[in-house]
Amino acid sequence: MNATETQEPRIRILLIEDNPTDVELFRRALGVAGLACDLTVLEDGAEALALLRLPDTEGVLPDLVVLDLNLPKHDGIEVLQAMRATTRYTSVPVAILSSSSSPRERAKIEQFRVSRYITKPPDLDQFMKIGFTLKELVAGRR
Amino acid sequence: MPPRSRLFANMPIKRKLVVIIMSVTIAALGVSGIASVVTDSRLFRAYLGRDLTVLAGIVAENSTAALSFEDPKSAGDTLAALRARTHVVAACILRADGQLFAEYSRDGKPGSCPAPVSADGVRFKGLELIVSHAIVLDQRRIGSLVLLYDLDEIEERVWLYGAATGIILLVSGLVALLLSARLQRVIAEPVSALARTTVAVSRSQDYGIRAQKRSDDELGVLVDAFNSMLTGIQSRDHELKQALQAREAALREAQSARDFLSTTLASIGDAVVSTDAEGRVVFANAVACRLMRRTGEDVAGRPLDELMRLVDEQTRDAVKSPDGPIAEHVLLVAHDGAEVPVDHSAAPIRDHQGNVAGAVLVFRDITERRRAERELRAAQEQLQLVTDTMAPAVTHCSRDLCYVWVSRRYAEWLQSTPESIAGRPIVEVIGAPALATIRPHIERVLTGERVEFQAQLVLPAIGRRWVRAVYVPSFDSGGAITGWVGDVSDITDLREAQAEVARINADLCKSNESLARSNEDLGRFAYAASHDLQEPLRMITTYVQLLARALPAQLDGEPKLFMQNVVDGSMRMRGLLADLLAYSEIGGDPVEPIGDVDLNGVLSTVLQNLQLAIEESGASIRSEKLPVVSGYSGHFVQLFQNLVGNAIKYRAVDAPRIRIACRAEERYLQFAVADNGIGIDTEYHAKIFGVFKRLHGKKIPGTGIGLAICQRVVERYGGRIWVESQAGKGATFFFTLPAEANESKGVTNERYGNTGA
Repeated sequence: MNATETQEPRIRILLIEDNPTDVELFRRALGVAGLACDLTVLEDGAEALALLRLPDTEGVLPDLVVLDLNLPKHDGIEVLQAMRATTRYTSVPVAILSSSSSPRERAKIEQFRVSRYITKPPDLDQFMKIGFTLKELVAGRR
Repeated sequence: MPPRSRLFANMPIKRKLVVIIMSVTIAALGVSGIASVVTDSRLFRAYLGRDLTVLAGIVAENSTAALSFEDPKSAGDTLAALRARTHVVAACILRADGQLFAEYSRDGKPGSCPAPVSADGVRFKGLELIVSHAIVLDQRRIGSLVLLYDLDEIEERVWLYGAATGIILLVSGLVALLLSARLQRVIAEPVSALARTTVAVSRSQDYGIRAQKRSDDELGVLVDAFNSMLTGIQSRDHELKQALQAREAALREAQSARDFLSTTLASIGDAVVSTDAEGRVVFANAVACRLMRRTGEDVAGRPLDELMRLVDEQTRDAVKSPDGPIAEHVLLVAHDGAEVPVDHSAAPIRDHQGNVAGAVLVFRDITERRRAERELRAAQEQLQLVTDTMAPAVTHCSRDLCYVWVSRRYAEWLQSTPESIAGRPIVEVIGAPALATIRPHIERVLTGERVEFQAQLVLPAIGRRWVRAVYVPSFDSGGAITGWVGDVSDITDLREAQAEVARINADLCKSNESLARSNEDLGRFAYAASHDLQEPLRMITTYVQLLARALPAQLDGEPKLFMQNVVDGSMRMRGLLADLLAYSEIGGDPVEPIGDVDLNGVLSTVLQNLQLAIEESGASIRSEKLPVVSGYSGHFVQLFQNLVGNAIKYRAVDAPRIRIACRAEERYLQFAVADNGIGIDTEYHAKIFGVFKRLHGKKIPGTGIGLAICQRVVERYGGRIWVESQAGKGATFFFTLPAEANESKGVTNERYGNTGA
């Protein structure tokens, strides 16, 4: 499922999320924030790990990875672990987008240098604010 | 003074010897001296006679001429020549007719011529010697010459001889004395030594002393004989002494036997009386005298029948003295009628020919024993009564494995009676298999040990029973083990009950385990459910919101209200799920490591989280300085946030005033969160800590999990939470945390200023 927004500057965001409704909401939030980007979506952990295993020359590195923790096949923690172990991705900023606000979940990813931990808000308006948060994050990095 | 002979007889032998030797010497010398003086005197007289005769002849011859010529002068001269002989006292020449012709006197006095002697010759006259010699011429007598000669010479000689004899006597006496003094030792010394030895022997009575033999003469023989006599005396003396000692030992033994017997007789508790063949008292010891109520002098020699009588206790018939074994039920009646119950025995005394010479009677005052027996019987009856009425089944058994005595309870347990068990062998009552089972315990108790055991016995009367028994050894007065006392309990029911309890316990444990397991499952389920339910719920909420926005703006009324209700419901559900998740997470493993938690920091976090509510309500929150405790800070944030949050939420009309305090008790820290809110009716104090328990409707929002979370946190740390409150009067929530886990964390009772708004 690939899609692109046509606005300058083009930012590359890799979203790893299995829930199509959340992908939809995420896409909307990016739109609300006016963040023009190339959004690549992977639907499970296995796809993400496959991407990490590609040769260095292939593909372009994303500016930001947004990762759901609750993924089929290989969960978000495994993906995060593999990503930090892959040289090209070691310095790519990662934002966690989790449905759980539990400290237990947060504690698990603490060691992996995560840029932002975002709990999926139950309220529509709050969800839409995620777009702004990520825009700030990316702007800070550039 | 003893007579001379005794004096001599009593002289020591050596002096006797000296006296004898001296006497003999002096006598011999004296006799020989006298003899020689006498002899010499005779001889000298004879010699003098002859000499003077010769001299007279010569003078007469020489005077012949003068006489014949009548020349007196010449005759005088001739006579004067006699002067040379000093002992010639006078000399005269007489004419034949007797007329004095010439004369010579030694001292010149005339007239001293003696009367002419009728005959010629020598004649002794007193102390003078007269010599007459005829003057002859031509055979014719013409005159006579008379000489007077004194005998002084003889006297001189006698004196001379006497003196010589005296000197000889003296010297030889001295020599004899010296010699005898030396020589007497040869004889006297051995005799004296023998005498001294004799004296020493007789003085010291030591027949071991021996005389020393110095020679082989008769004295030597005497010494030998004396010594051999001493030897004989010594050996006889020794024998005598031995015999004497043996006799003395025998005497002492006899005396001590007598003493022993008399002491024994005097001190034994029994009365002993001995009589002669006529029944007269020969001896009675003190006890006997006391029983007969007499003194010792009273009874001797009196007939025994006068002093006392023996009668049968029951019949009061006179009792004949038995010849031997003890007669029972006998009363001794003293002369004054006093009666004493006695044991009584008698035995005849026989002389060496076997004739009865008397009798010995022995009585024992058994008053004390009677009393002791009565008391013992009473005690036994009492013991039987006590043990019969008391629960324990008690036995007393002897070493030879027989019942001595059993309590009624024991007998009844074996479906018998004490009377039919007592005295019987154990094996008859409980059977060989049961005895075999308890035998090791019996052997142990008979070594003096206290034994306690449980065993299952198969008893003939009552079948298979579990018993618990305590065996204690019993001792006689000498400390020897006579048997044992057993306390026996039938614990069959108890054992069965215990087995039942154990079985129930095991069941309980099992169900407890499965409960814990299902509780754990439930916890995991609650966590998973609350966690996973959030996802679809969020979807519902979000998309209902999207739907509401997508609907035309003019869509009012019911659809919008319904939509809003869906949103509200899902929001509420979301809150419930969040709280449920928090609640279930408290039981799980915490994310952070256990550590020191500064509750002051916790409180400021809480106040930050609640900032909006605090500002809206105008609440004032004051806290004492709180301690540092050990645990997970997240738990304490939840605890304080719920308590403070509730205090704000359930406010009364006035602005909330919340006070937080902490007090260190001996074993725990006690915290208090007090408010001035609406309070809680005491009826609900216990219920409010349950999950989903709410007292208020939708008017005050809430999930009903907050206090359940608080309780779970406090209980997780081993504390307790409770509330003190009345409706309308505010509420104070107390909770405790154990002190030992939070020691030396600086808890004080000092009051500090407020924190918060």
